[in-house]
Amino acid sequence: MNELRMSLREARLNITFEGLNGDFVEPVPFNLSDAELKALARNAIVTGGVPGIAVSRRRRDTVDLSTFVVDRFPASGPHRENRVFVRPLTPFG
Amino acid sequence: MSEQQQQQRRVVIVGVGALGSHLALFARNLPARLTLVDGDRVERKNVLSQFHTKMALGRNKAQALQQALQGLYEVRVDAVPHRLVPDNAATLLGAADVLVDCVDNAPTRMLMQEFARAHGKACLHGALSADGEYARIMWDAAFTIDQGGDGQATCEDGEHLPFIVRAAAQMAATLQQFLRTGTQVSCHLHAAGMIEIATADAVG
Repeated sequence: MNELRMSLREARLNITFEGLNGDFVEPVPFNLSDAELKALARNAIVTGGVPGIAVSRRRRDTVDLSTFVVDRFPASGPHRENRVFVRPLTPFG
Repeated sequence: MSEQQQQQRRVVIVGVGALGSHLALFARNLPARLTLVDGDRVERKNVLSQFHTKMALGRNKAQALQQALQGLYEVRVDAVPHRLVPDNAATLLGAADVLVDCVDNAPTRMLMQEFARAHGKACLHGALSADGEYARIMWDAAFTIDQGGDGQATCEDGEHLPFIVRAAAQMAATLQQFLRTGTQVSCHLHAAGMIEIATADAVG
C-alpha cells in the first residue's frame, strides 16, 4: 500500500476491475457522490492511473463502471484514513 | 471454552452452491457441528463449479453434500433440504452460533442479516461477482447487501472454479479464526490478492 498524505475530508480510493485491484495515486474527497467517484475511477483506469490495473488501449472505450458499487469506510481503529472502494456487484454465492 | 463446548457450537451454512459446497468441504474439520441448508437440486451445469458430482444429479444439494462428506471423509453434518424463508428462519437458524451466508439472492441475505442482528448472532457473508474474479468475505457489521445483478451471466461454466475454491478456502480460514479466537476479519478477495477491510477483536 503506497503512502498517501491526506486530510480528514479525504480518502484512499481503491478500485477492483476485472479481477485486478489497486489504489488511485491521489487522495480523493470523501464526500464525492457515488457517480463522481465511479467517473473518477473509470478515468483513472483508462489513463493508467491505478497501479495494478492495466487495460489495453483498444479496450479503454469499453471500460464501464456504471453497475459498480461504492463502499465507504470512515477511518477507525488501525485504519487511520478514510477508505472508498469502487467494486463490482457481488450478487452470487 | 472446553473442547466439548467447541464441538457443540453450531455453524449453519445457508446455500451450498459454488461457494457453500466448497466451504463445507474445507470446513469439515472445524470444531463445530455443521448444518447445510439448501432447497435446490443438483443440476448438470452445477458440477462444473460446485462440489457436487454427477452421481448427485437430481438430488437435493444439502442432502447430496451430507452424503458425500459422510462417504468420503466420515464427517457427519446435518442437512436441511429446504429454502430459507421467513416462516422457517427461527427453526433453521435459532440454534446456530454462527450463520454463514452463501446464497445467491438479496432477499435471503437480508433475512439472514436481520435474523443475525435481531438475535445477536455472528454472521459471515460470502459474495461473488458475476465474472467470478472478485469476492467479498465479510462479517455482518461491515457487510452491505448488493441489489441487482439479475440477468448477469454467472460462473456456472466452470471457468472460474479456481477462484471460487480460493474464496471458499478463505471463508473456511476466516471461520476457523473466529471459532478459535473470536476475531472477525473481513476482506475483499480478487484475482491479484486480498485486502483486509475490517478486524473486530474478540468480545469478552
